[in-house]
Amino acid sequence: MISKLINNKIFTLLKVQYSNMLEYRVEIALWAISGIIPFFMLNIWTNNNLNESINISNIMLSRYFLCAFFVRQFSVVWVVFSFEEDTLMGKVSPYLIQPLNPFFRYFAQHLAEQITRLPFALIIIFFFFIFNRESIWIPSLGILLLSTISTFFSFLIQFLIQSIIACLCFWTEKASSIERLLFIPTLFLSGLLAPVVSFPEYVKSWIYFTPFPYLIDFPANLLSGNATNISGGLSMQILWILLLFPLFRKIWSSGTKKYTAMGS
Amino acid sequence: MDKNIIDVKNLSKSFNISSKEPGIKGTIKHFFKRQTKSIKVIKDISFEVKEGEIVGFLGANGAGKTTILKMLCGLIYPSQGSISVSGYLPFRRKENFLKNITLIMGQKQQLIWDLPPIESFYLNASIYDLDNFEAKKRIKKLSDMLEIGEELFIPVRKLSLGQRMKSELLAALIHEPNILFLDEPTLGLDINAQRNLRKFLQKYNKETNATICLTSHYMKDITSLCKRVICVHNGSISYDGKLDLLLKKLSPVKEILIVCSSDEDANQLENSGFNVKNKTKNEITIIIDNNSITSSLKTILNNFDIEDLYINEPPIDEIIGKILIKKDYDI
Amino acid sequence: MKTRKYLKVYRKFLHTSLASELEYKTNILIDLITAILSLIGSIFLLSIFFQNNNSIGGWEFEQALIIQSIYTILNGITNTWFNPNLTEIVKHIREGTLDFVLLKPIDSQFFISLKKLTPSGILEIMLGFFLLLYCIKINQINLTLSFLILCLITIICSICILYSLWFFISTTTIWFVKTWNATEVLRSFLYIGRFPLNSFSFTLRIFFSVFVPIAFITTIPSEVFLGLSEIWKILLEVIVAMVFLFTSRRFWLFALRFYSSASS
Repeated sequence: MISKLINNKIFTLLKVQYSNMLEYRVEIALWAISGIIPFFMLNIWTNNNLNESINISNIMLSRYFLCAFFVRQFSVVWVVFSFEEDTLMGKVSPYLIQPLNPFFRYFAQHLAEQITRLPFALIIIFFFFIFNRESIWIPSLGILLLSTISTFFSFLIQFLIQSIIACLCFWTEKASSIERLLFIPTLFLSGLLAPVVSFPEYVKSWIYFTPFPYLIDFPANLLSGNATNISGGLSMQILWILLLFPLFRKIWSSGTKKYTAMGS
Repeated sequence: MDKNIIDVKNLSKSFNISSKEPGIKGTIKHFFKRQTKSIKVIKDISFEVKEGEIVGFLGANGAGKTTILKMLCGLIYPSQGSISVSGYLPFRRKENFLKNITLIMGQKQQLIWDLPPIESFYLNASIYDLDNFEAKKRIKKLSDMLEIGEELFIPVRKLSLGQRMKSELLAALIHEPNILFLDEPTLGLDINAQRNLRKFLQKYNKETNATICLTSHYMKDITSLCKRVICVHNGSISYDGKLDLLLKKLSPVKEILIVCSSDEDANQLENSGFNVKNKTKNEITIIIDNNSITSSLKTILNNFDIEDLYINEPPIDEIIGKILIKKDYDI
Repeated sequence: MKTRKYLKVYRKFLHTSLASELEYKTNILIDLITAILSLIGSIFLLSIFFQNNNSIGGWEFEQALIIQSIYTILNGITNTWFNPNLTEIVKHIREGTLDFVLLKPIDSQFFISLKKLTPSGILEIMLGFFLLLYCIKINQINLTLSFLILCLITIICSICILYSLWFFISTTTIWFVKTWNATEVLRSFLYIGRFPLNSFSFTLRIFFSVFVPIAFITTIPSEVFLGLSEIWKILLEVIVAMVFLFTSRRFWLFALRFYSSASS
């Protein structure tokens, strides 16, 4: 009953946010373009034959970076920036009165934005294939499904992490700088700029215990058909979600308590 | 005293507004062939303002008041006609012209949010070529006039709206401009803060003989400050002259409530040829023309036994409100 | 007389923005950590590229570090001046307070591009500078006066080009209020500046020297440091910088004309 109610709310929210996001299609298109860093990286890798040392062929590497781009497009999270602006402008108080956790609202916003983003991402991929015909491939339906799920999990992990940071807005005024700090390891360790297999041993030994490789590297490997441990990756993603969710709940409840106690 | 400081002749302004059909098809069409419409927001207006005058611009939302004000201070380029403000063409925004004017917009703030207002004052002072000594002197003088003191040393974000407005005023007046443009200066302020602001503007005008042009939605601002009003309607000036005259023209009658000592008296009064609005028992309300008010009252007082008498001035707000909503009236 | 006034106003700008930033002290610390991590991350990425290769695009690791250090300095300058002022311009236009700026008896471009300053960026500049000194040592570069002057000229030109790029985007806010996403595109392009231009394929090289002159920004100054640059390249950079500065100025004045004839 309760879950049905929430589903219904989310569905309505999603519809509203989608039409809202359509208004921002130019911005979203620009945003999609700004995600093309993996292609520049691919260019460095193949142009200098760096991939020979890690035993990945040119074609597989280009598929990997293409998938990294794609996974990144659908796991971008910006909840902390929205939430920070909303707290500064005093929009959070009305949200708190509503019988729905405001983060559902942001969650719906993100999903709606991803739907709006899809055509732009597809156009960029289309152009990529025009220039790299030999890397065209069609993944099997099962892989497609699994990688969609793992991309969504990657999005969930990042959404939870950022929501936790966003809750810090209740304590400090500018939580977004913490997010910018955390973005640095995400950028370098998630596999967006270089596949995790290419990392030196002293990094590889501990990196799989952090959430980072499951954000881009794992879903991208899965989708592109590069070697990866499917069940291991998925279970690590679920583990991180199960770990982060109660943490978010806790910090949210103590944050709102503090917020209402301050009375601002 | 009688020098014209603002001189506007046959001023017009039209904006090009691009129109777009909704939907993706409309967007694409819009992309290839921009369809623009020219909308004339100010239509051929002329007026003068003398030095030291306080002029109020009246009009409904979108009538063009703010556009006129912005053209006067040089933020909007006029399409046709000429403007001269203290001898300058405003839109050139020459340094000496800018040092002569100031623009104050209600709820738009230039003060630095995280710092005490005093920091913004000194910043502005350096922009207007004032040395520290002179700046200090002016801040002292203006803060005395505005009745603010320790607020100057508290970060702006912690000030109340009224205190913030006073600080905004100080920041806008530190270069002692002799023309002030105010766009809805009392927006959002409480009654007290509004009154203080008006008092200050009056005092400032008296002491420095500065010219003040203001727009406002609060009738009280206009009626207590401006002797002269310019009514703007659909981009044209529909009235330009004394406020009293406008009021007299718009409300030529007064309502008088008379409490008679007995019901018979009231009945008698009802039937003696006055324009009766309503009557309950011994209380009777009649409407009398402004021109005959004294003579009518004399007859009533002489002929009837009156217990009490109230003269109701129709509220000014209501009258001016009428100007704002009435589409076609001529004065 | 004029320059004295502008110097005085700039001193006030410095004072006010430092004072406002110091209201958020922890932020400065977090930003500094971010800058350090970001530098470590890019050196890490560079080391991955070099783990099995001796040179990339003809640049050895020690030489590529010079590019990193110049990138860090320029990124610090962006974070100190360009980025906070762009944020401020967007705010001015969104809230309609640009009018106040235009009515001040001071050059609006000066006001709008120098009003704000973020002190944590200065720490990043210092970080880059120390790395540069280290690079000078390990590459055994002889410092002579004429060499230093040449380096200074190219770096100043880079700053001018970078400033013009940012200011172009700032100016477009007059038409499109939301320029954030356009800056993200620029940022992702600038990211390329961390790597030697020669490590990219020919088409990208052309793109990054003709359309978006990222190549001029970091590669040429680094080449000067290594004594590899030809004089025509330096001259070309000076010309490009001047053209960029000039056009950004003209573009701003044009935009202002548009602003004052169209805004209501």
